[in-house]
Amino acid sequence: MDRPVAYDKLAREERVVRMRARDVAEAKIEQGLPPFPDLRSRESIRERVHGIMVGEMQAMEGAGRSVYDFPDAPWEFTMDMARQVWDESRHLEIYLRLIEHLGGYPGEYPETTILWRCACAEDAAARVAGVNRGLEGLACDVFNQLVHIARKIGDPVLERSVDFVLADEITHVRMGSKWLTRLTEGDPERRRRAIEFQDTIDERFNLGGVRRDGDHEEVLISIATEARRLGGFTGEEIERLIKTTQRSQVY
Amino acid sequence: MTHSLEGHHSVEQSARLIRNYRYAAERMTRLLGGWLPLTPEVSAKLLMGRHVWDNAQHADLFGRRLPELRAPAQVSEPSGPAFVAFMEALESPETPELTVERLVGVYRVLKPHLLAVYEQHLGAANAVYEPPTCRILARCIEDERRHVAAGETVLGHLLAAGGLYDRAVAWQRRLEELLAAAGGVTGEGLPPVAPRSTVPEGEGSGEAREFIRLETAGSPWALPDDLRAAVQAFGDALVNGEAGALDRWIAPSARSGQAMDPALAGVRLSDHRVVAVARLGAKRIVKLRAGGPSASVTLALRWMPDPDGWRLESIEIARAHVASPA
Repeated sequence: MDRPVAYDKLAREERVVRMRARDVAEAKIEQGLPPFPDLRSRESIRERVHGIMVGEMQAMEGAGRSVYDFPDAPWEFTMDMARQVWDESRHLEIYLRLIEHLGGYPGEYPETTILWRCACAEDAAARVAGVNRGLEGLACDVFNQLVHIARKIGDPVLERSVDFVLADEITHVRMGSKWLTRLTEGDPERRRRAIEFQDTIDERFNLGGVRRDGDHEEVLISIATEARRLGGFTGEEIERLIKTTQRSQVY
Repeated sequence: MTHSLEGHHSVEQSARLIRNYRYAAERMTRLLGGWLPLTPEVSAKLLMGRHVWDNAQHADLFGRRLPELRAPAQVSEPSGPAFVAFMEALESPETPELTVERLVGVYRVLKPHLLAVYEQHLGAANAVYEPPTCRILARCIEDERRHVAAGETVLGHLLAAGGLYDRAVAWQRRLEELLAAAGGVTGEGLPPVAPRSTVPEGEGSGEAREFIRLETAGSPWALPDDLRAAVQAFGDALVNGEAGALDRWIAPSARSGQAMDPALAGVRLSDHRVVAVARLGAKRIVKLRAGGPSASVTLALRWMPDPDGWRLESIEIARAHVASPA
């Protein structure tokens, strides 16, 4: 099998429409809409949940590729990645069910492959830094906010299920923190490159100022500082992320 | 009557068998993980995603048992080059349209074989001094039974699409020949595999049925009536080769650069149907598949609402297949 799998080689059912994230955002801005769902209506929540479902599918695929692509990594690394595949497959199922719960259907919104592009680092340390700390960190931000919104609108199904997914994601961030350290022990250059890769992902997912430190109802994506702390981010790292969001260009 | 302390395997033999099992379990873990992005069907994706972790746990349990048998921990060892060749063949179907082959290899050949071997080993193991191995085998047997039942359920769903049955049978036969040539996972021969009809349906198949439901569920396309009519008219014009009628649907601002792919010029199409509808704000992206005796094409049509009705903002060829002349 090829290593890694190019974004346009992701196999999808015919019901899926695939677009570049930038094209989706631009098309929405042209129509006077926010580039990302603002969670202010049930339809907007459904669109966000659909985007998360797509992200979970790509996360499952990405963790699967980490099992396959790094046969020489420590066995415990493979075990952690295999466990993550299982978790992500349950998350995919949960979000497919949540889409049903919200009256939608898979394929109702285009799939973007921006997450997958970030999951294709060829070095295992860079991949866990990028995926488990960068992308799963983003997942913590998004899910934490979604739990809050679900509680506010009185949707216990959404609240409870997403909260369990959030607990898993924190575990995945923790795995990333552990493996970033262990895989780069005694190799500061490899660590520097891995962190640099994670920084590029964090910057990309600041989404030009969409992700910010702030109230769940005031910003499109709010940074989940407590969840990130539980996942092994240091206070300094969280501060640094918040600072980068402040200087991110508007989309 | 045999003595309660008689045994079938020496410590060294037992360690070697466990390294052989670990090789199969580890390799299966990795290939199922690697296949995930290459497999389009959600039911198969969920099935494989679930089983990656169980297989990894099997490999891990075998690997942890090894030091208790005076062998290094977490070491995999194939029984020989012929079993490696079997695994290479099993791993080889990579393209999206080969999901059936992927599932046949794992769920109709390898897993039923491992199940039979584990049962045989468990039956022969000494109940007094081999319980640590027996407990691992019992766990693996339970999981493999569940996996085989689940895999069979998803395969049944995929094979129902038609035209795939012969392919599945041929691929199974080819892999079974390679497995037999290898003497199975241990190189010591193949214990009889239980016929598929005798594998009990259980938790695995129930879960798999739910995966299929999730794959096939979904509201009818969210197409407003006027857009449905526009798509129908556009598809009819496409099939009838009426260029003027096609142009009618293209927004004036998008007329330049919307020429149909020259590769499709002159291709006969006989029917069309909507296969996807996605929202993009107020716009809709509709995937329309048109087929004919020697070609099929899937178009991604971006429709926008206009005071005069729905108009096409862009047309892209998402997929095209034109049969080569014989």
